[in-house]
Formats: sequence, C-alpha cells, structure tokens
Amino acid sequence: MKLTATKEALLDGLQTIQNVVSTRATLPVLSNVLIETTETGVRLTTTDLEVSVRRDINAQIEKPGATTLPAKRLLSIVRELPSSEIVLETDAKQITSLRCGPSFFKVYGMPKDDYPAFPSLREPRVFTMKQSELKDGLRKTSYAISLDETRYVLNGILFAFRDNKLTLVATDGRRLALWDNDMEFPKSLERDFIVPTKAIHEIERLLKEDGEIIISAGENLVSFELNGTLLVSKMVEGTYPNYRQVIPGEAKERISLEREAFLKCVHRVSLLSNEKTSSIRLNFTKNNLDITSNTPDIGEAKESISIAYRGREFAIAFNPEYMMAPLRALPDDEVFLDLIDEMSPGVFKIKTPFLYVLMPMRVSV
Amino acid sequence: MTPELQAIWTPVSETLRGRVSEDAYHRWFHEVELACMDDKSVTLRVPNPIHQFFIESNFLTVLQSAFEECGSGTREVRFVFSSNGEHSNGNGNGNGDAEADDFADIPEPVAEPAAPRRPNRQAIGQSLGMNPRNSFDTFVVGANSQFAHAASQAVAQSPAKTYNPLFIYGGSGLGKTHLLQAIGHHVLAARRDFKVAYISCEQFTNEFIDAIQHATLVRFRKRYRQADVLMIDDIQFLAGRERSQEEFFHTFNALHDGHKQIVLSSDRPASEIEKLEQRLVSRFEWGMTAELQPPDLETRIAILKKKAEAMSIVLDAWVIDFLADKIRNNVRRLEGALMRVATYKSISDRPVTRETIENLLRDILQEQARRVVTIDQIQRKVAEHFDVRIADMTSKRRPANIAFPRQIAMFISRRLTRASLTEVGDAFGGKDHGTVIHAEKLVKKRMEEDSDIRQTINLLETQLQR
Repeated sequence: MKLTATKEALLDGLQTIQNVVSTRATLPVLSNVLIETTETGVRLTTTDLEVSVRRDINAQIEKPGATTLPAKRLLSIVRELPSSEIVLETDAKQITSLRCGPSFFKVYGMPKDDYPAFPSLREPRVFTMKQSELKDGLRKTSYAISLDETRYVLNGILFAFRDNKLTLVATDGRRLALWDNDMEFPKSLERDFIVPTKAIHEIERLLKEDGEIIISAGENLVSFELNGTLLVSKMVEGTYPNYRQVIPGEAKERISLEREAFLKCVHRVSLLSNEKTSSIRLNFTKNNLDITSNTPDIGEAKESISIAYRGREFAIAFNPEYMMAPLRALPDDEVFLDLIDEMSPGVFKIKTPFLYVLMPMRVSV
Repeated sequence: MTPELQAIWTPVSETLRGRVSEDAYHRWFHEVELACMDDKSVTLRVPNPIHQFFIESNFLTVLQSAFEECGSGTREVRFVFSSNGEHSNGNGNGNGDAEADDFADIPEPVAEPAAPRRPNRQAIGQSLGMNPRNSFDTFVVGANSQFAHAASQAVAQSPAKTYNPLFIYGGSGLGKTHLLQAIGHHVLAARRDFKVAYISCEQFTNEFIDAIQHATLVRFRKRYRQADVLMIDDIQFLAGRERSQEEFFHTFNALHDGHKQIVLSSDRPASEIEKLEQRLVSRFEWGMTAELQPPDLETRIAILKKKAEAMSIVLDAWVIDFLADKIRNNVRRLEGALMRVATYKSISDRPVTRETIENLLRDILQEQARRVVTIDQIQRKVAEHFDVRIADMTSKRRPANIAFPRQIAMFISRRLTRASLTEVGDAFGGKDHGTVIHAEKLVKKRMEEDSDIRQTINLLETQLQR
C-alpha cells in the first residue's frame, strides 16, 4: 500500500476516531487503527468491539492496500510532523514507513485481516434529524446517565421514536432527565433502543451546530452518520424500564426561578458541604426562597432569592450536584420547579419539551 | 401474597407511610407486596424495574429500618417483578431488564427466593432453563443407564460429598440432559439454600465472550463461581476454544476447591474430546465418569410404556413392541415416534395396523433400515480410509499395511452385518473361516491396547451406519 496525504487531513481523521480505542484492549489489534485505501482516499476505522468509528479522508493512492497501526502512537507522530505532505508505505510484513520532509519513521503494524469486521446493519430503520437538535437533546440528558454498572440497562440513553417524536431519557435511580423533539416518521418505523454511554459521549463530541445526522437503527446495532464520520454502536440489551412511572402528575406548587441566579446561589451554598453527605435545603416561605446547607465540622451557608410564592411554607432537600447539573445544561433564562411535598420528587421544566425529575433527600432536622 | 406474608408486610407498610410523604408512599410503595422472606433477606414484588431502581436509590434505609422496627430484624432487601400483574410463583420471570430468556441466571437483582413451598422451587427450576418433566421419577433405568443413574442419584442426594465432578457421556438422545436436570430439580427441592446453575456449554462461552466485551467479567464470574451446584451440558463444545477453556478451568478450580458440586455431560469421553487442554481432561476424569449406552429391548419397551402412561395414551402391546424393535439407538426418536402414533390414533378413526405405522414412521424406519450395511460397503470404506486398493481387501498379500486393514474390515463385517464366518471369509477372497476368527481376535486385542485404533474403528463404524 502506498499513499500520500496531507498532515491536516490525516490529523483530523485520526483525532476523530481516536477516542473509541480503549486503553485496555482485550485484543492487541484493537489498539490499532485500520487504514484502508478507497477510490478517493483513505478510510480510518477504530473499534472497541462495542463502538466502532469510521472516517474517510482524501489522499492520493499510488498503490491500494490496507494495514493497521497503533492508533495513539500514529496520532502523536502525525501531530509532530514538520511539513504538510506525508507519504505512507506499507510492505508485505506490515511495516509502515512514514516520510514527511526529512523525517522518516518505520512503524510495525498488524495485518488488516486481524482487524474485526466493521459491523453492518441489516434492514435498519432510518431517521434523519438536525445535528443541532440532537446536540441539544443529548446535552440536556447525558449527565443523568447511570454510572452503576450493575444496572446496565440504565447505562445509556433511551432513544424512543414514537408518535412522531423522538424522546431521550436518562436516569440513574435518583434523577431522570427527559427530552422531546417533534419528528415526522411513519408508524411502521417506531422503535425504542438504548444507546450505551460511551457511544453517547462520542456522538456528543462529533456533533456540530449545523448539518444533519442520519440515525439508522437495526436489530441490536445503531449507526450515526454525520460530517463524514460513521459511528456504529451496539445497543444496550434489554428493555428500558417504564420511566413514566417516575414522573409525577400534578404539581402542588410551581415556582418560577431565574436559572443563572439560582444556579449561582446553589453553587455557593454547596461549597460548604462535603461530597458524602451533601444536601441542600430549599426553604419556601412567602415570596422568598432560602437556600441553606449545614454540614457538621465544615460550616453553614445561606442564600436568599425572592420568588413569586404564595403557597404553604415548606422545606425540601436535594443533592446539590444533581440540582446543578440540569441548570448548567439548560440555556433558558427561566426554569420552573414543580413541587408536591418534601418526600416527593421535584420536577424542573422549561418552556420547550424537557423535564428533570429529582428525588429529594431527607430533610435534616 | 399469603396471609403470613401480609401479616408481616402490613405493619412495615404502615410504618413507611408515616415516614415518607403520602405522594411518595402512593407512588412507590402502594403496589409493593412482600413476595417472600427468609432469615437473611426479604423480597419485595414491584410492578416494574424502575421501582426497584428508585426504591433502592432513595428509600433503602427507610425500608430497612421499617423492617427492623416491626420486629423482623436486619434483612437484605431484594426485588422481583410481577409479570402481567399475575401474582405468580414469585420468581424472576417478569424481569424487565434484559437477561430475559436466559438459562441459568442466578438472576442478579432478583432474589433466589428460598420459599417454603415446593411450587416456588419448581418455578425457579424452570426459570433456570430446566424442563420440569426431566426428573428422577420420569427416568427409566435399564442396564444401559443403571450406573449413570445411580451416580446421579448419589450426587443429587449429597452434592459435593460423593462424586465430584460427575462426568456423564453418551450418544445423542440417550438421557444425559435428563439426568442433569433431574439432579438439578432434586437439589432445588431438597436444599432450599443451594444455588443451582444449569447451563449449556455454548451459553457459557457466549456469556463469557459477552462479559469480556462489556467488561462485566466480575459479574459473570460471580454468577458461576458462587453456585453450589454447577451443571454444564455438552461440555465437548469447549473443544478448540482456548480462552473459554481457561475460564472454565478457573471456574472449575474455584468450585471444586470450595467443595461445590460440578456435573458435566458430553457426547464422548473426556479423553476423546479433541483440542481440549490436558489439564481439563484430567479434571473431568477426576471424579466419576459414567456412560449412557443405548437401551436394550426391555428397557425400550419400559420407556415406551412409561411415556404412554404419562401421556394417558392407550396403545396395543404389539405397537409398543414394534416401535421398540425398530428404533434402537435413540430414546428421543423413540418417544417422538410414540407421539406420532398416538396422535395419529387419536385423530384418525381408522384402526391402527402395521402398515399404517410403517407408513407413518417411514422416514425413521428408513433411516434405521439404511443402516443395513453390506460387506461390500465395509470393504470400500476401510480401503479408502487406509489408502489401499479394494482388490487388496480380497487378495492374499501378507504385508501388514494390507493385511491389517483387511483384518479390520473383517472385524467390522462381523460386527455390523449378520454374515457368518464362512460368508465373511468368502467375501474376502475365499478365506478360511479360521482366518476370520483370527482377524477378530487380533483386532480386538489391538483395540484394547491402542486407543487410536479403537477410535478409528469406532469412527468407521459410525460412518458406515449413517
């Protein structure tokens, strides 16, 4: 195989696919990137057997072929190369030489046949949407994904294509984030599947503000095609539990809050709590909200915000980090907090279809 | 929920009601039931996995203290899900989150309800992938299976105290899975606290590969290394799979050292499984090895009679004799034929005659008939295998590379056909009947001494009989 590519194109390609490579690869070939020539250039592929990413870049092919090279090492070499044109040549023993200006490298690789086949979807259901919309949805939900590996059904985001909309749900047992977006598709294409956490983070990295993304859902694989990159991921096996149960119906009180001001107050108060027992108390009185924390051996903090509130006086406690996460992710100026009572979940809402259910903590006496 | 469990749950439920808000109680605990309880844990039945996640994450301490206060002491809390709202036997079958259709799951968040009632354990057996009809009661013992049966019973009655591991091998359809599952059911019924895992070897390797890919090896290992009885069917599928063999090696050691029972089944003896690591072969042979052979005529009749009785079918004696006579090597096939005849009898008003049965079962009987081997076929097969000419089979040449295959062919002819010594001798170029006797003796002796030869001959015979 022999080809010439520009440093920019190669660097861009390698950086895009780099993250998927896992640090502790079960098979040695998985720490490599698969490099194959195509009609117009070079195809770079990496996988960790769960998520696979493929990207095509332009290059001049002198002799077609394929090989695999250590991904991280290749990236660091290409990054440091002095000038723009790089010539790659691989011999029969899978040794690749890189020539760029006066620099010369020889890297040992593994044959292409050792590399696992790129997963292919059979008869997928295809959905197209704006990248900006998906980016918005993922940003508003991905922080709520469960990190507990034993609850593996929750280690990802539910993509529910139903009733002409796409719903994204993420939960970890303490809080649940749900985001809706209208989309048109025929009833026959309706589908639910769970995209694993790693794939979600990768997609978030790849999404841009404009352009479209094509989501194809197969039996147990889902692919995302955007900006010349194709990402295929295994779906999380299993049925996502019925999350509707979690969402409270009627709220007793709905309080409108200025998002940024509220976030800053909560953040300041949380500075005086330790991670283990951190809880922040929201004390609602007439037209006033006191945000307090009281941690033994550390100290107390108190902030006050004026709000429009005419309901009964009551207090509810939440985990500050769980409360701040959605506030950081939302761009809106105004958020609404729906409350029922001190042992019932609170729900954060905004003007567009989104909600965040947060279970309270015990109000310390 | 039984009255006893209800009596325990009601005060706890009331305590909870006082501790959590009305809304929270209604949302999370209103539909909760107490599925069962033992001295170490309580199992709650919830409508949906999401309940488990949210209750575990938010109300666990409140729940536990409620149980303590109501006099039940400190217990671990586990969950099961109700399937379709049926208040069923309280096992993990309605499990919302994956691991559905799995065999031997020691289902993880779902309890192993050590319930005081038999039906519960049977349901667990079923959820482990074991057919409830495969028990010791339904197994017909004959001379062919006496040894394996006795060994299985000993193991079932005292797991890990008699033969460990127990290795059962035999051809297809002879009862290996039946015995394994019988052991499983027996242990589940007798020992409430015993964890039984029953799994096919393929399942084991698939789950292992999956665990590597999803980095859930810890969970995988926990599942199989914490069993009290581990039974794996068709262990010969480990052949050639190095990593699975290594994993199984460690699993085996962990269990054996911990005095936990291991039962394995295979279609051939451990030493004849190709590409199996020697250290595994020696471990398989460490305990007891028992063979299941094809049943003899009386046993076949007994099996048919028992099956007919179990299905409440009445068949004439000659039908049973006919079936038992025609189908000899495979009990599964025997039972299948019985079903066919019985069904035919029930839906057709015409009387069952010999012709109707022969017609009905013609595909099975043809198979058996096809097995009538001719000396000619034998000669050709042996010649092909040993790379000698067919003419050499009938020649007088003495060099061992020709004579020995000839002798083997004679031996096989005597075994597989009904030809007399003289007939065999004639077929091999007018040899004396004494030559045939000598050939038989010699080959027999060589088979005993050399396992390669024994395997070759077995292989040839099997191939000829297909």
